[in-house]
Amino acid sequence: MSAREAILRALASPIQADAAALAREAAMLLAGNERPPLAAESVTEAFLANLSLPSIGATHDRIASMEQLPDAVARYLAGQGEPARLYLPPDPRLDACDWSAVERLPTVPMDGGAALAIAVAAVAETGSLVLDTATTAPMLPNFLALHHLIAIERARLVRWLEDVPLPSPPGPRQRTWVTGVSGTTDIEGQYVRGAHGPRFLHVVLIG
Amino acid sequence: MTERRTVALFVTCLVNVMRPRIGFAAAAALEAAGCDVVVPRDQTCCGQPALNSGDREGAKAAARRTIAVLEGYEHVVVPSGSCAGTIRAHYPEILADDPAWLPRAQAVAARTWEVLAFLDEVCGWRPQGTRLAVTAAYHDSCSGLRELGIKRQPRRLLAAVDELRLVPLEGDETCCGFGGTFCVKYPAISNAIVEEKAAAIEASGADLLLSGDLGCLMNMAGKLHRRGASTRVFHTVEVVAGMADGPAIGEDA
Amino acid sequence: MSSFTDRADGALADRQLKIAIERTTGTAQAKRAVAVAAFPDFEAARARAAAIKDHVVANLGAYLEQFEASATAAGTQVHWARTADEACAIVIDICRAAEARSVARSKSMLGEEIGLPHALAEAGIGRVETDLAEHIIQLADERPSHIVWPALHKTREQVSELFRRHHRTPHEGEEIAAMAESARRHLREAMLAADVGISGANFLIADTGAAVTVTNEGNAELSLVPPRVHIVTAGIEKIVPSTGHAIHLLRMLARSATGAALTQYTSFFAGPRRAGEIDGPQEMHVVLIDNGRTRMREEGLAEMLRCIRCGACMNHCVVFRQIGGHAYGGTYPGPMGAVLTPALDGLTANRDLPNACTMNGKCQEVCPVDIPLPTLLRGWREKSWREGLEPTATRSGINAWNRMIASPRLYRLMSAMGARALRTVSRGGWISRLPLAGGWTRHRDLPRPPAGGTFLDQWAKRRR
Repeated sequence: MSAREAILRALASPIQADAAALAREAAMLLAGNERPPLAAESVTEAFLANLSLPSIGATHDRIASMEQLPDAVARYLAGQGEPARLYLPPDPRLDACDWSAVERLPTVPMDGGAALAIAVAAVAETGSLVLDTATTAPMLPNFLALHHLIAIERARLVRWLEDVPLPSPPGPRQRTWVTGVSGTTDIEGQYVRGAHGPRFLHVVLIG
Repeated sequence: MTERRTVALFVTCLVNVMRPRIGFAAAAALEAAGCDVVVPRDQTCCGQPALNSGDREGAKAAARRTIAVLEGYEHVVVPSGSCAGTIRAHYPEILADDPAWLPRAQAVAARTWEVLAFLDEVCGWRPQGTRLAVTAAYHDSCSGLRELGIKRQPRRLLAAVDELRLVPLEGDETCCGFGGTFCVKYPAISNAIVEEKAAAIEASGADLLLSGDLGCLMNMAGKLHRRGASTRVFHTVEVVAGMADGPAIGEDA
Repeated sequence: MSSFTDRADGALADRQLKIAIERTTGTAQAKRAVAVAAFPDFEAARARAAAIKDHVVANLGAYLEQFEASATAAGTQVHWARTADEACAIVIDICRAAEARSVARSKSMLGEEIGLPHALAEAGIGRVETDLAEHIIQLADERPSHIVWPALHKTREQVSELFRRHHRTPHEGEEIAAMAESARRHLREAMLAADVGISGANFLIADTGAAVTVTNEGNAELSLVPPRVHIVTAGIEKIVPSTGHAIHLLRMLARSATGAALTQYTSFFAGPRRAGEIDGPQEMHVVLIDNGRTRMREEGLAEMLRCIRCGACMNHCVVFRQIGGHAYGGTYPGPMGAVLTPALDGLTANRDLPNACTMNGKCQEVCPVDIPLPTLLRGWREKSWREGLEPTATRSGINAWNRMIASPRLYRLMSAMGARALRTVSRGGWISRLPLAGGWTRHRDLPRPPAGGTFLDQWAKRRR
C-alpha cells in the first residue's frame, strides 16, 4: 500500500460528505467573519494611516497619473541620498513613461539599490500591497533591493483582505502580500529593519 | 419576609486541617447574608488529587460519593475555586459516560458555588460595618479565574469593607506555582515561579495578600515568610466576614 | 540521556537563559495584549477559527484529495509520507535528482520534527539556514527552543560572540542591528546560489493548491525564487478549504504570535514558474506528511491538530518561562509541546511533560484556536496512570488517599491526627523542615495548623 493509500484509508470516515455539502459547510463557517476595526473610515485614509505606522515604516507619495511616476521616483531617490537609478520590471505601462531623469537598470544588484514594482491591489485593513509574478513582473528584485518602491492605482485599493480579487486560473506562480519592510525580532525579541529583504518601502499612490 | 436559603458548606481538605477559621468565616458571612448553613458530616474530599494525577476511576469514585453527600441541598458553597471548579466543571465531564450519574452530577454542579461568587451574585450581599484600615494585594487563583470566572466578585465584596484599599499587583492573574501536587513533584520549578510571585507581592507594598484558594495562599505565604517579608496573608472570606482582626496564615501559635 | 528534571534544573540555574526568556516572552505578551484589545471581536474570531480547523480535521481525507488535485493542476508534484523517515527520503531523492549541492531552508518546525537537517547532512547536501534565528542555532549546533523565536535562549551577547567567530565580515559594536546586518551579508550569496529551496507551509489551500508562508524577513522569498526546485514539507493538518479561510486564520496567527496585524511577507506559492514568467523555480514539490497525525486524530488529540503554531501558549506559560524550550527535550516546547511530544516520541520517555504543569489554564486562554490544552494534558496523565508509568510513591500516595476519603469516619480521624502531627513538628506558626515533604519545605515554610482540631470536629462540637 502506498503512503497515500495508507493515509487516506486512516482518514476515511463512515459518512463521506459530498464535495458540494463540504463546500457549503466551509462557506457557512466563514460567512460574516469577524474583522478588526479600520484605522479610518475611508479606504484611502485607512491604507495611508497603516503605511505610516512604525511597525510598517513605509513612506508614501501621491501623484495624479502614471506619467508622473518617474518624477516621484526621482524625488524619492534624491530624498534618500541615493543615485538616480533603479530596476524597473518590463511592464508596458512603465515603458510608456519618460525615464530620462532616472537610469533604468537591467537587473538589481545582489544587495543594495532600488527596485520598483506595480502592485495588483492594496489593502486598507493592513496597509498591504499585493504583488503577483507575471511575464512583466519578476519577484526577486522586490527582495534583493534595499529600497523597494511600489506603485499602486487608487482604484485598486480595497478595504479587506477578503476583497483582494483572486487571480483567475491558472494564476501566477507566486502572490505576495507586502506589509511593511523586512525586519526581524529574532535576537532578544528586538525589532530590526532590513533583515534580508528591503529596509525601505516607498508607496506611490496613483490617482 | 424573605425566606432564608439553606446552603451546604463543603469545607475542603486543606481548610479542614490547615485553617478551620476559613470555614467559620464562610459560615459567618453566609449567615449574615441570610443563609442557614449546614455542614454535611459525611463530606470528605472532592477527588481533585486523583483527577489531576490521572486516576480517572479514583476521581469518579470520589465524585459519586461527593454527589451523594451534597445532592440533597439546594445550594452547595465551597471556600475554594479549585474544589468548586472540580465539582462544577469536572464532575459532569468525568461522568459523561455514566448515564445513571451524569444527570446527578449536572444537578449538583449547577447548584455548587465558590463562596465569594455566591455571596456576591446569588445573595447580592455586601459586608456591613466591617472596617479594615490596611492595603491589600489580590491574587486571582487560576481555577477560580479561568474555570469559574471569579474576578470581579471578590473585589466588589472587598470594596464594601471600610477603609480597605486594594493596590495593584503586577501579574495578579499569573499562576503562583502551587498547582496541587505539582509543587511537590517539581519543587525547583514551582519555587522559581513562586519566587517571582513573592517578589511582585513585596513590590506592591501591600500590607495584606488576599486570594480565594488556601493552597495558593499557603504556597505564597510560605515563600513570603521564608523570604522574611512582612506581608500578612488571609483568605478573602475571612476579611469580608470581619475576621481579619485575628491571626493571619502562619500566625496561629 | 538526561531526564526532564535534570534538564529543568540545568535551565533553572542558567541566569543568561532567564534573561533571554524574560526579554522575548515579556515583549510577546505585551504586544499580543495590545493587538487583542484592539480587535473587539477577537473572542468570536477565535471560536470561528477553532470551528474552521475542526471542520477540516473532520474531513481531512477529502480536503487532502482536493489539495492534491488543485496543486497538481497548478504544476506541483504532490508526495505523501507516512513517517519522518519516508518524508526525509522523498526530500533527499528530489535533491539528488536535481543534483543539488546545497539547499536554502526557510524556517520550518516540521522540518525539525522529521529530522531534515540531519538527513541532509547524512546525504552530504549543504544546508543554508536563511531565517536569522535558524542561522544562529545552526552556528551553535543546537535545536530550536521556541517555535517562533528558535534562538530565544540566546542573549545578544551570545549571538554576538557566535557571529564574530563564524561570519566573514563580522559586525562592529554590540548593536543588534549590526548583528542582523552581518548575517544579511554572510548569508546572501549562499542563499541565492542554492540549487533547492525548502520551506514549510503555514497553510495549504485546498481549492487553489497553494502553499502559504509567513515571514518577517523575506528570507522565504529570497530562498524560494532563485533555485530550480522548491520543496514544501508540511503536516497534513495544515490544509484549509480556501484563501478566505486562510485569511481568517492569518488574522489570528500574527496577532497571537507577535502582536502584528500581519507579518511583513505573506506569500502564496502555487506551482512552478508559469510560461513566460521571468523568475521562479522550474519544479515545485509538496510533501504531505502524516508522522502520527492520523493517529492523534483517532486517539483523542484531534483538537491538537487545530494548532497554527503561533507560540502564544508557551509565551504565557509559567513553567516555560522558567525552564525555556530545550528542557522539554523534543521538537516542540511549552504547552503545545507537552501535548505533542508524547504523541510523536512516546509517552514512556516523556511522561514528565504533561505532569510538569500547574493546570492554570492560561495557555488555553491565549490560544487563538481554543485548544483545551489542560484537558489534553490531563488525558496524557490518565494514559500514564492506566499504563502504570507513574512512580510507585505517587500511585501509593493517591491510592491511600482514595481509600481514606472513601470512609467519612476514617477521613475525619486521619485529618485530626494529621493536624496534631503537624503541630508537634513545628515551632511558632511555621514548619521549616518536614520529613517526607522536603519538596515543600526545601523552598518555603509551611504554616502549621492551629490548635483546636479540624473544622469538621470543631463544627460538630459547637453544634452539639
